[in-house]
Amino acid sequence: MPVSAPDVIARESWFDVDTGQLDRRIFSDQQIYQEELKKIFARAWNFMCHESQIPDPGSFFLNRIGEDHVIVVRDRKNQVQVLLNSCAHRGNTVCRAEQGKTRSFFCSYHGWNYDLDGKLLAIPGEKDFYRNDVDKEALGLTKAAQVSSYKGFVFATLDAAAPPLEEYLGWVGRLGIDSIAARGEIEVVDGIQKNRVRCNWKLAVDNLFDWYHPKVTHGSAIRTGVMSEADMYPMNQMVMLGEYGHAIGGPGVSEEKQAQLEEKFHGKNQSDSADRRDYHNAWKTSHKAREILGPVGVRSRGHPNIFPNLWITLGGTQACLRIPCGPLETELWWFTFAEKSMSPAARRDLIQAATHFFGPAGLLEQDDGENWSHSTRASIGTVTGNRPVQLTMGQGHDEVKLDPSGQSSIETVVNEHAQRWTYRSWQEWMKADSWEALIENHSPAPSGVI
Amino acid sequence: MAVLDEMCIQEKMLLQHEVEQFLYHEARLLDERKFDDWLALLTDDIHYWMPIRRTTTAREIDDEFTKPGAMAFFDDDKKYLEIRVKKMAAGNAWSEDPPSRTRHFVTNIRIVDIQGDDITIEANFHLYRTRLDSDEDSWIGHRKDVLRRIDGNFMLACRHIFLEQTLIMSQNMSNLF
Ligand code: FES
Ligand SMILES: [Fe+2]
Repeated sequence: MPVSAPDVIARESWFDVDTGQLDRRIFSDQQIYQEELKKIFARAWNFMCHESQIPDPGSFFLNRIGEDHVIVVRDRKNQVQVLLNSCAHRGNTVCRAEQGKTRSFFCSYHGWNYDLDGKLLAIPGEKDFYRNDVDKEALGLTKAAQVSSYKGFVFATLDAAAPPLEEYLGWVGRLGIDSIAARGEIEVVDGIQKNRVRCNWKLAVDNLFDWYHPKVTHGSAIRTGVMSEADMYPMNQMVMLGEYGHAIGGPGVSEEKQAQLEEKFHGKNQSDSADRRDYHNAWKTSHKAREILGPVGVRSRGHPNIFPNLWITLGGTQACLRIPCGPLETELWWFTFAEKSMSPAARRDLIQAATHFFGPAGLLEQDDGENWSHSTRASIGTVTGNRPVQLTMGQGHDEVKLDPSGQSSIETVVNEHAQRWTYRSWQEWMKADSWEALIENHSPAPSGVI
Repeated sequence: MAVLDEMCIQEKMLLQHEVEQFLYHEARLLDERKFDDWLALLTDDIHYWMPIRRTTTAREIDDEFTKPGAMAFFDDDKKYLEIRVKKMAAGNAWSEDPPSRTRHFVTNIRIVDIQGDDITIEANFHLYRTRLDSDEDSWIGHRKDVLRRIDGNFMLACRHIFLEQTLIMSQNMSNLF
């Protein structure tokens, strides 16, 4: 095989939308990664935390936007601020605890002290060393360009030109968040599991839509009996694709099945009556759930991804951020959501399911990381890096059906529609030089044969 | 601690020896992947738990570990530990096939309390793991174990594992601590 490795990778050819062939080098190329930080992460609305994690003025939680470290904090006026965690003086980190409560952010290097809204309060030696010749107003912590929250989920963008959050999310992104929020009044359970996998972040995102792998990758978990093969390999798949790359992919139930379930759980306290495996079926049978999620959305049991990197699990009980740390490493951060009204037993069940299935010791997730890290490794080899990734499953065989409600979905078997949509959107983001260009040139959500 | 305080030095030395031998034996079973034999050493009411650790300020250090009932990395009863072992033996547990190579070190073993048949132990541990050609993991921390004397033999009735890591630097934790 002749080896050809162009020094500059032509942007147009990373993903061939028509043939489903994807250039593997996007999983390891340093230059592409640097561009992603600017064109994807700095530009997108990134999930920061849930409001319940920062209940009081001074409560904070550290997060990242690409490789920019940020503090998400509630200020004295009860406003949520997203501040870059870097002192205006030499750049030192001003908040080192990953969560907690504070009165101000005090820099441990020379002592500049910042208020909860990022304002520079005091500089040691302002008079004696600076001779009062310093513009404190201009030297506050940098703020995210925009901060907004949707149903208690706080997002931030570093780009002032980004459209408003709800518009950015569109109906698919909102449905993704609603898949948690519609359960009722929810809060994050204390404890964010964090671990680092040696893979490119996009492979971790790709996988959340991947209902082809569970039967094989998670075959051993299935054999223990903690989940059925039918759960892990559902034949009815439902895919929803939204502007800017948001997507939902995974199992869905038919109208008839939904009606049966509504019958089964009618009048019961959905979260408490269901056994662990039925939880996601149960809460989606209430009138309220149908109202919020819509007639199509309520039948979805799939995995939403809020572009670029927030995965919501099918029960709406957990969300996982895939945070890039260089092209070859990704951190996985798990957030777990409980309803405030849950009985202690139901809450306990939900938390145990969360620890038992996901996270680095989770029965399912144990077997994922090595697949992604070895797929990443292959993108480095001279020959293996030149062999395209295959994203062809189901291409051209399905149809996007528009419901009178305005929601649309693809109802089919296991497929790769959502992954193709993700990479296609990713490519559009990477080609665009500004939000303006992205708004102008991004694909509308697909319709018709797909 | 009344019982401990009443023991003479010889009795304490004997007990220390028995405890150490049990912990070494149990660690050896895990390293040899004799998981069924390991399970046989656990009481039916065992709680096997590894909370999540966070970086906090010294002022808020009480909040460093998640509390029981909140999220954790492990929060298992006997049944779930049996499921973990069953998974490893399933023949298609890819994270453990090819098998990981592990070495458990247990040190600084202290008997801190005796209540009836239950002996509470504190110990430091180092679990070293390699996988394939270049994967290397190292977990260090301390444990709080409860050993229960049943018919003259020890059984493990509780294991609470406190890691030094906050962000887990490993692809997974498919092994037992
Ligand atoms: S770097 Fe923060 S005060 Fe100097
Ligand atoms: Fe998986």
